[in-house]
Amino acid sequence: MTNMSLGKFAGFTAAVLLCASHVALADNTPTDNIQGFGPQTFAELKTQFAGKPFVVSLWSVDCAPCRVELDMLGQMKKADPAFPLVVISTDSIDKREDAADILDEYQLADEVTWMFADSFVERLRFSIDPGWYGELPRSYFYDAEHNMMSHSGILTIEKFKELFPY
Amino acid sequence: MPTFHLISDCLRPLHGRPLPDGLNTIRQFLLAAPLALASVFSSLFIPAAHAQSCETLRSAHGEDVISVHCGGAPSATFDHNNHLWVAFVSNKHVYVSRSEDKGTTFSTPVQVNALPEDAEFNGENRPKIIVANNGTVLLSWTTKTSNRFTGEIRFSRSTDGGRSFEQPHTVNDDGLAIGHRFDSLFLTESGKLYVTWIDKRDLEASLARSEDYPGAAIYYTVSEDLGASFMPNVRVSHNSCECCRIAVAPHGDDNIAILWRQIFGEQIRDHAIAVLSPDGMVSDLSRATIDDWQIDACPHHGPTMVPAESEGQYHMSWFSAGTIHSGIHYARYDLATASPADIIKIDGTPGAGHPSLATFNDTLYLVWKGFDGMSTPLQLMTSHDEGRSWSAPQTLISTDQASDHPLLITSPEGVFLSWSSEQHGYVFKELSND
Repeated sequence: MTNMSLGKFAGFTAAVLLCASHVALADNTPTDNIQGFGPQTFAELKTQFAGKPFVVSLWSVDCAPCRVELDMLGQMKKADPAFPLVVISTDSIDKREDAADILDEYQLADEVTWMFADSFVERLRFSIDPGWYGELPRSYFYDAEHNMMSHSGILTIEKFKELFPY
Repeated sequence: MPTFHLISDCLRPLHGRPLPDGLNTIRQFLLAAPLALASVFSSLFIPAAHAQSCETLRSAHGEDVISVHCGGAPSATFDHNNHLWVAFVSNKHVYVSRSEDKGTTFSTPVQVNALPEDAEFNGENRPKIIVANNGTVLLSWTTKTSNRFTGEIRFSRSTDGGRSFEQPHTVNDDGLAIGHRFDSLFLTESGKLYVTWIDKRDLEASLARSEDYPGAAIYYTVSEDLGASFMPNVRVSHNSCECCRIAVAPHGDDNIAILWRQIFGEQIRDHAIAVLSPDGMVSDLSRATIDDWQIDACPHHGPTMVPAESEGQYHMSWFSAGTIHSGIHYARYDLATASPADIIKIDGTPGAGHPSLATFNDTLYLVWKGFDGMSTPLQLMTSHDEGRSWSAPQTLISTDQASDHPLLITSPEGVFLSWSSEQHGYVFKELSND
């Protein structure tokens, strides 16, 4: 750690304290808040939200309609920082710089979000929802009992409130 | 500047060096024990002896190995000598490799674009390759120019039998740094070279006027001199979906028919068909599928189409999650009546997708990709009566690792599967001899 700057050390400490990041802690440690999404990640997230409602939003760098939804989610998160939102990019985590730029644009860069981190994307999609065809944007609304409703395509704020009345 | 190892022939010694023991052992095993392999692979299809994973190659030749087995989103074609040509993307370059033994061994890959560019390689976006009867090698691909859905349609060719390639140039002629993506390339028997793609110039113009514009547009151009020059771009249709490959099939001597995902009304993303001619005329534009998929999203799921026996009729297969049709479907479309016939559901399982059609010797072949929760099987169905009835699906091969969309390639000798996966590398296998 002798070569690690003070700033990076602070970032390192924050990463460990705040989110127990799985990101490799080397000198080239990414400065974003993006974590790798693997085959077990979704089950782990559901455990974290046990007994609580939450929303999942899936997007990708190459999905134009997704930007509309990210814009809305960024504003919602800004209005209520405690809003239980899980944002997952279906791009390979190799594209994290592209994703980080876009998340920053929609005020979501400070949130912990996820990116697909396994080239066998079919298995990752299946782990989220076996009935999902892969279309984007895709959203899931879990109530406190983790009954789930899904939505494909751009969400309006009205539709969002209808699906997630919390 | 990284150094790359070009793999000329994956099972022959590279540059005179002996293969590592592991590869020799694999070769001996594959050559000597086909029956043993048959018991290892329980599915119908046995990978050809040449197929091997990129991981194996990388462990033998280094991480930066350049081989058809490691290349991104390969596509394939036959030349008039029935030699196989494969184009793929590796480290921001398009490469071409040739096989004179139908994919058992490959020539040293030749770089197409000397300067690196962000050539797209994924299921719906891949380099396309055609070899004209005079030996000119023709290639198109999409180069991503930003992370804002912008791209350019690139074209290059070789007039010396694939030894070198002309500097790539951009085919879209609007000069705008906007979206031009999802190219398709087609050469008619009469030598008309078509490039079609999804284009956002009309969207941008509408936005500049503060007007709504659902989706993007379909554009095309034609070269009458095998890519030496192209005619000005022509619009086929407004309001296409933004993110699905376009299917192309011949129509008469000079024309082509194309099938693409189109936005009908405000949010229905079904398919449209049209006939394009080399003089820029667009005709027979009509709705080809009525699935009622109301979705304001990117399906990333384009159709496939080949000519049927009767002129003006086309076999087509597509994916939809509509209220009328959901899953992979097949139909035979008749341009004269502007209607589909014999619509059947091929596979409605979630995860099933990306069909590819081919015809050979009065048999129609349909291959697609499934997912059963653990692994991805490639499925095959055949029809001997123009799509009116079909065989039961057969599993060709399965993988529990990442894989590309399957493609069917035809030659005068048969129908072949072109497919790459992490587990098996690049697989090229005749289906019409089973």
